[in-house]
Amino acid sequence: MNELLVQLLEVVELGKADQKSPFPPQLKGQDGASELTTKALEAGISPQDILENALILAMDKVGKKFAENKIFVPQMLMSARAMGAAMLVLKPFFTSGEIKTKGTLIIGTVKGDLHDIGKNLVAMMVEGSGWKVIDLGVDVSAEKYIKALKENEGAVVALSALLTTTMVNMGQIVADIKTEVPGTVVCVGGAPVNDEFCKKIGADSYSADPQGVVEFLNKLAS
Amino acid sequence: MINMKSWMRQKIENKTRISIPIMTHPGIEMIGKTVQSAVQSGEVHAQAIKKLAEVYPSAATTVIMDLTLEAEAFGCQIEFQENDMPHILGRLVSNADEIENLKVPDLNAGRMQEYLKANKLTVQNGIEKPVLAGVIGPFSLAGRLFDLSEIMMACYIDPDAIMQLLDKCTDFILNYCRELKAIGCSGVVVAEPAAGLLSNEDCQMFSSVYVKRLVDALQDETFIIVLHNCGNTGHCTDAMLYTEAAAYHFGNAIDMVETLKVCPKDKMIMGNVDPVGVMKMMNPTEIKAYIGDLLVKTAEFPNFVLSTGCDLPPHVPAENVKAFFEALDEFNAKIEKK
Repeated sequence: MNELLVQLLEVVELGKADQKSPFPPQLKGQDGASELTTKALEAGISPQDILENALILAMDKVGKKFAENKIFVPQMLMSARAMGAAMLVLKPFFTSGEIKTKGTLIIGTVKGDLHDIGKNLVAMMVEGSGWKVIDLGVDVSAEKYIKALKENEGAVVALSALLTTTMVNMGQIVADIKTEVPGTVVCVGGAPVNDEFCKKIGADSYSADPQGVVEFLNKLAS
Repeated sequence: MINMKSWMRQKIENKTRISIPIMTHPGIEMIGKTVQSAVQSGEVHAQAIKKLAEVYPSAATTVIMDLTLEAEAFGCQIEFQENDMPHILGRLVSNADEIENLKVPDLNAGRMQEYLKANKLTVQNGIEKPVLAGVIGPFSLAGRLFDLSEIMMACYIDPDAIMQLLDKCTDFILNYCRELKAIGCSGVVVAEPAAGLLSNEDCQMFSSVYVKRLVDALQDETFIIVLHNCGNTGHCTDAMLYTEAAAYHFGNAIDMVETLKVCPKDKMIMGNVDPVGVMKMMNPTEIKAYIGDLLVKTAEFPNFVLSTGCDLPPHVPAENVKAFFEALDEFNAKIEKK
């Protein structure tokens, strides 16, 4: 593999967004994801190649390490931040359609719930695995999900809830989505949610961690 | 004033087990009030706690685990909901300069006086058991002021600024706990759920060091610190123990038996019945079986205290709460026969 892509994979995995970033200490002063992505483009490496052979591979490693309790939320967020810095450089290529994404995920924390850290982690990891992510934020009503779905045909929807009082809203939201946009695949997650609840409300998938969502979506896309 | 050192020793040396579930919503519901009224009125709050103490045989009394109270005192905007805990909207500080300029509030800010009133009334209500107040921990509070996702990264990008924020949070919490001690509470449950998202090393650096300041300043024979960290999956137990709190409270993410093996035998180790998956969603028969199994598995650890992994959510059926205590009674009855 091209040396620049190897370096880019490493800095994203370790969470170095740019040269100025003091983290991680062992890479202080070195190029980060932003600079290396620019250099890779200048060297003639295709944007799709950069995405698939550096960024997605890096975030896959990060997701697996997190699922295995080898790294924790802060390190994952730093890696996602580094990935985001690289994606910013690649943004024109997404806009032009030169980079093909695997699909679109619409994600939000459900109506009545303002917690977002879990939802943010999933959004970052899914984007890092090559999906377009539309993050509706928190306190999202069924109407907002449906509006976004109608604007993004074929998108998958992910609902997050941290509270038992708001997870009960998921059932109605799932029902409304599937009535208005039949055939929509809906994923659910969040601390009080489990597989049994997912089945009970007619959702299609439950994942206990971001890597689970990535794996489910990649299976859908394959 | 209860000698908590003796109280703890007696409970540990006793053959039978005790329970101290974290639950306040059942009390609020029993008195026919809303969550909003309970978190805004010290009197309503105290009535809910008193009702719980009358109905359920917990070994100690706990109060509402409201993780917005202290953040509101600092100046965070809060949204109240009639039948759920309040939420924090937005973030208060976002860089080193704002942290530098952040003022540590006094105890007249926000709803602090209502919570002090609730604790004082509870102490004075003739409940003849320890009253354990509840405060948010320093890292979890700092996360609420700075935004939880942002502080996780800022710990690496600008640790000095975050440590300054943690200092300010700890100063405030210390002042609050000092007042809780003065009004007669037997201890305080310090809730650090956000610290459970950190590695052991980071939990120690950004949480335990600050919690230890509370322990060193306040813990004595009449006042204990109970450190609650429901985010710990077993990976940051060492960091929790560094604080030298008198008791530790664990959530349903950890293996209770494995945790008991590594914890000191003279500390109360509490946990860890899933407040949602077990207490809300199971039926009474299933709950009794689950808790019975947990008590058998932990039987060789006399310092184990049966508890819920976190605060019970609203609308847990009364028969489920009853089943929790019945399971303990049945286990203890078998112990006493031996």
